[in-house]
Amino acid sequence: MLQLFQMGARSLWQHRTRTLLLGAAIAAVSALLIALTSLSTGMRTTMLVSATTLSTGHLNVAGFYKVTSGQSAPVVTDYRKLMDVVKDAVPEIDYLTERGRGWAKIISDTGSMQVGLAGVDISKEAGFKKVVTALSGNLDDLAKPGAIVIFEEQAKKLEVKVGDRLTISAATPRGTSNTIDVTVVAIGQNIGMMSNWNTFMNGTSLRELYQLNDDTAGAIHVYLKDINQVKTVQARLRKVLAEKGYGVMDDDPRAFWMKFQSVNREDWTGQKIDVTTWEDEISFVKWTVDGLTGLAVMVTIVLLVIIGVGIMNVMWITIRERTREIGTLRAIGMQRARVLGMFVIEGFLLGLAGTVSGTALGFAFSAALNAAHAKVPVAAQLFLMTDHLVMLPTVAWAVFAVLFITGVITAVSLVPSFLAARMKPITAMSHIG
Amino acid sequence: MGSIVSIRDVVKEYSLGKVVVPALRGVSLEVEKGEFISIAGPSGSGKTTMLNLIGCVDTATRGVVEVAGQDTGKLTERKLTALRLDTIGFIFQSFNLVSVLTVFQNVEFPLLLQRKLNGAQRKARVMQLLEQVGLATHAKHRPNELSGGQRQRVAVARALVTEPQIVLADEPTANLDSVTGQAIIDLMKSLNQQKGTTFIFSTHDYKVMQHANAVVRLADGKLQGRETGEAAVAAALKGMSVAPVAQAAP
Repeated sequence: MLQLFQMGARSLWQHRTRTLLLGAAIAAVSALLIALTSLSTGMRTTMLVSATTLSTGHLNVAGFYKVTSGQSAPVVTDYRKLMDVVKDAVPEIDYLTERGRGWAKIISDTGSMQVGLAGVDISKEAGFKKVVTALSGNLDDLAKPGAIVIFEEQAKKLEVKVGDRLTISAATPRGTSNTIDVTVVAIGQNIGMMSNWNTFMNGTSLRELYQLNDDTAGAIHVYLKDINQVKTVQARLRKVLAEKGYGVMDDDPRAFWMKFQSVNREDWTGQKIDVTTWEDEISFVKWTVDGLTGLAVMVTIVLLVIIGVGIMNVMWITIRERTREIGTLRAIGMQRARVLGMFVIEGFLLGLAGTVSGTALGFAFSAALNAAHAKVPVAAQLFLMTDHLVMLPTVAWAVFAVLFITGVITAVSLVPSFLAARMKPITAMSHIG
Repeated sequence: MGSIVSIRDVVKEYSLGKVVVPALRGVSLEVEKGEFISIAGPSGSGKTTMLNLIGCVDTATRGVVEVAGQDTGKLTERKLTALRLDTIGFIFQSFNLVSVLTVFQNVEFPLLLQRKLNGAQRKARVMQLLEQVGLATHAKHRPNELSGGQRQRVAVARALVTEPQIVLADEPTANLDSVTGQAIIDLMKSLNQQKGTTFIFSTHDYKVMQHANAVVRLADGKLQGRETGEAAVAAALKGMSVAPVAQAAP
């Protein structure tokens, strides 16, 4: 077997120009796969960090309160008691916070825009300042009544700066409109799509806006020590809450604001609790990451097909060139299976060398882009959820790339190798050319 | 001594499109163990076809070819390959060495296919043969670093490394100058005498034929005669038409 490997390696070396060209093509596909998956993994990670800080916990215990069956508000009443139930049921908790939720119009002297409102108690938001960078002002000032933090793109549109006043207009759960005036205490650096529609305001002020009492919250954000536990914890929480007598909504993996219509159609009133995961809450953007991963795999497959055809052709040429050698080896007693093995090993070695170097190249390219802190256009920020490229190559994708692409290349070389092995020694030995 | 090769009424035909070309027409031949036998005849007489049939790299259209007591027509492809590996050594006109392997590896290759010896035993066997063919110092060279004569000596070593009962050589000196060709034949002859290996080689070089202890003459796919003993061989070389087949058979 070792000798077959040696023969394969030396044969590749003997035809090094051809090997180099094919190896480079395989390496390019591998590098592309690594680069694209690094981008999607980077996006996923960025999204996870950003989203789980800005608009969702790892798990969200929230729900709707309906005064009449056709009118819902995204609030939970008596949230402190609910928090205690959650704490008891989930020992995996790292920390939890409550947030107010709302959808409102903010108005400046020169413009207005619809935004999502998050009412926060900044003193309990452990991760907030790690994700949001204040370009001006002070994030801690969110503790002040009537304070709001907006992002730079929003500030540009509204033409406001720190210290300026804004008016917020929203529909209350009772169906009336209410307005309050707030002061911009900080302008945060854009963090992709999330910063386009998210704003943060003092939690107490948000309750004033929606005319909610002190015991009402928008959602309880639960952060786990291990995010991989979300599905298990979600199922347990739903069960525990139902056992404790809470009305629990059916599992619906969508963001809360996408559920208003269906909730309003349902024939019930009062409070119902919804338990969602971070992926549910940002399902509307997660498809971009899944799409990119899918695209990466698709592009790789298409390129692999093209390169596979090339490899097969080159293997044909190689086998034509070495037909007499095949005949000789068969004549001196090499079984068909070994001839097959010899050429398959050659394809395998070519694939392995190409994918390993391509994967290394992909890692190096990703590291270079990270080091360059490459800025992305605003339109791309919507999907990338960051103002700069974050590439995160993973060992899992590297292993996949090496195994998958090497496997494909080896499989492609099987066909000509099989036909070479089937040749009669006499036919092969008398081959000319 | 018994026959190591037995060919009886063998016909070999090749199809070239719709045309059937006969290469051998009812040939019979017995080869004893330890013979150093030459198959002589002009181009197209069927020398190579006969060697291919004896070497189990081709099968007869009709008739029986027995090698080392086995009817090759009844063996599977796998068993034929095993028979070639264990019983037959090949020396080709154009050497047919594997270009990417060194001299040592080329000679060692059949032993690796056999899987009978361990590394140390293989090394000892290969080096002993390379000593015999005078190429021990070239063990690490590649074939393209050797002269034609040296390459053919490597091929001889490779053919003998498995200690086969039969060595088949198809025009082994055709691509060599006369001095080198003579040296190769001397080498084959001495190995035949030392080890008792049966050598069957094709040639149309009279000087080479002189070394054979039997000459089988072919023409147009038919056996013209078989001369044994030095005098008979010499006579055959003079006239190339001495005894009829029936009288010449051993």
